[in-house]
Formats: sequence, structure tokens, C-alpha cells
Amino acid sequence: MIEAAQIRKRYNGSRALDGFTLRVEKGELFGLVGPNGAGKTTLIKILSTLIRADSGVARIAGMDVTANPIGVKSVVGYMPDQPGLYQDMRVREFLEFFAEAFHIPGQRRRAVVEQGLADSGLVARAESFVEELSFGMKQRLFLAKTLLHSPQVLLLDEPATGLDPLARVDLRDQLKRLNQQGITILLSSHILADLQEICSRVALIAGGKNQEDGAGRSVIELRGQDATQPQLYEVGVLQDGERAGQLASAVAGVKVLHAEPLRIVVEISGDASQASEFLRHLVISGVQVVRFDRPPATLEQRYREAFGEKPR
Amino acid sequence: MNPMIRKELRQRMRERRGWILPSLYLLVLSAIISFAYYGVSSESSATMQGWQIGTVLFLTLTYSQLALLLLMAPIFSAGALTIEKEQRTLGGLLTSLLGPVQIWWGKFAASLMFILLLLVIGIPVLSVVFAFGGVGPWEVGIVAFTTLVILGTMSAISLYWSSAFRRSVHATAVSYVTVVLMTVVTLIIFGIAMSRVHSGDGWHSIPLKVRAPLYLNPLFFLTSALVPKNQLYPEWFICLGVFVALAALCAVLTLRNLRRSGDIA
Repeated sequence: MIEAAQIRKRYNGSRALDGFTLRVEKGELFGLVGPNGAGKTTLIKILSTLIRADSGVARIAGMDVTANPIGVKSVVGYMPDQPGLYQDMRVREFLEFFAEAFHIPGQRRRAVVEQGLADSGLVARAESFVEELSFGMKQRLFLAKTLLHSPQVLLLDEPATGLDPLARVDLRDQLKRLNQQGITILLSSHILADLQEICSRVALIAGGKNQEDGAGRSVIELRGQDATQPQLYEVGVLQDGERAGQLASAVAGVKVLHAEPLRIVVEISGDASQASEFLRHLVISGVQVVRFDRPPATLEQRYREAFGEKPR
Repeated sequence: MNPMIRKELRQRMRERRGWILPSLYLLVLSAIISFAYYGVSSESSATMQGWQIGTVLFLTLTYSQLALLLLMAPIFSAGALTIEKEQRTLGGLLTSLLGPVQIWWGKFAASLMFILLLLVIGIPVLSVVFAFGGVGPWEVGIVAFTTLVILGTMSAISLYWSSAFRRSVHATAVSYVTVVLMTVVTLIIFGIAMSRVHSGDGWHSIPLKVRAPLYLNPLFFLTSALVPKNQLYPEWFICLGVFVALAALCAVLTLRNLRRSGDIA
């Protein structure tokens, strides 16, 4: 549904994107994460037709964003990191204006606006001026505006920035609902917990390029396990962790990531029988195993592996 | 109707300046016509006939109106696009199905409509002139049309500056500089050039390169409209061509800037 291949973009001599590649399948809720200045906003702006890439190919629903910007705009809903609203318009007027700007015909326009007001919980505030709304309400209004033309794809750039915890929960629930309705969502965020909870996959980006985590993956699966990918295992031992590490590294399909006196972390390729075989090998070799887990890899761990820092 | 026009007009009429500026405009125009009337009637009531008074009042009103509107035009258009950048609403417009042409046209038409509103509310003041005679529908029509072309061009120029700058204050300042360049500096350049040329056989004996700056001057354009109908060619037509070409050039450049403004939207 969303394809970006070898995208490059320079601003005043500095590279914002340097060959970034991404593929988001139809119906996915896909996250994009990376430090400040990684190129997330630039990528989303290119996909939403706001700016042109210097080179590379970007397609949405099979349409090239440069060759067919009108077609792309008609299927994309874009929400920037700081959504701009006309403060001196009434809530209903704001939605009516954008419904007209998306060429929604007169009869349907009224129904679409009413639906937008209902979905965003702003029916009671329809005649209020935008400036009178709280920040969370403004965010909901902007999302309602973004959904007026029933887009197939949502491009959201840091949508939770500045929201209070309850509004964040609201937004997460709304995004989940939209995704369940079949809308493909590409979401950039610094709030890893949010991405962890709602995204099926997350791509890592830094310096305008695809960034790999400790296991060499630039796209992290967060829902379900990919059998083709190596799995992480944590082995608790009584005292001979370093020896266990040496034994493990001699086993085919096993890669030792950490070896400490009481714990080793390994990555095992193949299915569960390979992991079972590895455990048997350790026990037969006399290693006193007290724990053998497949820890849920949190996005924060992966982020640290990839960037060596906490998200900013 | 282009939704941009409706949005712009609605927003403009909600602003305080939406009623303050027309009120001020009417007050100043009324004051000018009153002073002009008392000046003319007290000094030369014995020598001037009614139609002559009417003509003097009409000319006073025409030039005053243009001067006032030249001062007001940048207020309506120089901030039209910068405000979208300042409020971060330009991205929303550019990612909608409104093209840059519709966005430009919406902003331009709304600015021009506001100026048209000022011209219309000035009609009661103008009607004083008709009471004295000396001015016919042709004069009123050609002056109104010329004023509208001049202000349309100034709006297009201000919109260009609005697309080139990020802040309204900068776009407005540069728009006023442009007004001064076109109305005052062109006159000064013409005056200096004339002082070096000896021509005693009338306007057409002045070399074109000396006259050229005046074709950019709004006051000269208006003056060229006040000649008898059969003398409009060539000066009025040249001015018309220059102003329309300038407006078209600014429109093209504004559209180019709009297409490139996605990075700041």
C-alpha cells in the first residue's frame, strides 16, 4: 500500500533522506521511529505530496506520488506534527470547508461533516469557535478533517505530541478502530509505548537511512513472531555464564549476544525444536540452567540496540 | 464557488479590521471631499461654474481614493499566504484537492472583492460630484476600471511577497516598499531623466526610455485614463498592458512558490 524505495532528499546541502526504503502492506498499522532529525517528517511529507524527493520512488496505493499527486491526495489523509487550524472558524465551518476542498459533493458533504462531528465527539461543540477548544479536542477535530474524504491511507506525523495521557489513550483507541476498518496507517512517534501497543511493525530510521537493531533488522515485528527470523532467548545459569556462552557459540544456528556470569542472551535461528536442542546441549554439557525464556522484546530494548540511547 | 473565496471572505469579515477599515476609509474620503468642496467654493465661487467644481471634486476624489486604496491593498493581501504559514494551515490546503491555482485565486479574488467593497461604499461620496455636473458615466467607469486594475496588480504583487516570505510583517513591509517604488520612485526617476532631456514638443517627443518608468506608476496610469476617450491610445493601453503583465508574472511566481512551499507547510 505504501512503498518508498531508495528515497533521497537534501535540504540546503544536508541530507534529510539518504536512500531510505519502506514497504507497508495494506491494512497495516505501521510505526516509524528514530531520533530527532532522522528524516521521519521528510519521508511523511514526501509521501503526502508536500515535497518532492530528489530521487527514488514513492508510491501509495500503486500511484507514484510525484507523477500523480492528485490521485495520491484523494486516498491519503495527512496529519502533521503541529496540526494547523483556523482558530476563527467554527468547528462545523472548518469541517465543511475541508469537505468542499476535497470536492465532496453537496448532499454527501453534510452527511460526512455530521459523521465527522459524531466520530470526534464534537457534536456539542459544532458551533464553537476552534480557538475555544482544548488541545485534545483540536487534535480530534484535525483527525476528523483528515478522515472527511474517507482516505485509504493515513500518514500521521507525531500525532500524540502535546496530548495529555487520557487524550493519548483516546487517540490510540481511535487509530486502532480506524485500522480495524481497513485503513492503512503509517505513524511516526517518539512515544515507544504507543507504537508498541498499536503497531504491527515498526521501521527504524536514522540519518535518513534504514537503521538496524542489534539483530540486524530494520523492521521490527511487534505482533506475532516471524518464523523466518531468529528468536531471542535468555538463559539464566547458576554461575558459569561465560562457559555457557562459549558452549552456545559452538552450536550451529545460535548466536551469543551477551554472556554474563548469571545470564546469557542468544539468538536462535529456526523453529522451537532448535531451541529445545540447544537447551539439551547446555544441560548435557553440565551447565546449571535455572531459567530459559523467550523475553518479549520491547521496542525500547530494540531502540536502545539500534540507537544506543533513549528516545528523545 | 471556490471554497477558498468563501473562507477568506468569512474570516476577513470576522476580523475587527473588516469593519474598521471601511469605516476609516469612508471617514477619510468624506473629510477629503468636504475640504476640497469648501476650498473650491470659498476661493473661486465667483469664477468657477458648477461643472468645473464637479470636475475638481471628481479629480480630488479619484486620486485620494487611489492613494487610500494603495495604502490598504497590502493589508488585505500581503498577509494572505504568510498567515497560512504562521498558523501552519498551508499543509492542510496543499494536501487537499485544492490546487495552487485555486488557493491563489481564492486569496486574490477575496482581496479584490474587499477592495471592490470599498469602491462601492465610496459611491455615496462620489454622488456629491454628480450634483455639480461635469462628470459623466464614461469618466466614472474608466476611472473605476483603471483603479481596479491597479489594485488588482498591487494585490498580485503583495500576494507574491506573501508567498516569498514566512512572516506577515516582512511581506507587508516589502509590499509597502513596492508601492513607494512604483508611485514615488518612478516619478523621481522620470523627473531626473527629464531634466537631462530637452523636449519642447509635447509628451510624445520625450524619448521612450525617459517615459518608461511612468508606465509602472499607478498615478500616471490613472491620469492616462482621464484623457478624452479617443486619446486613450497609446498611453492608457500601454499602462494597462504593463500592469496586467506584471500581475500575471506575479501570479505565475506565486504559484511556483506555492508548489515549493511544502517543506514549510
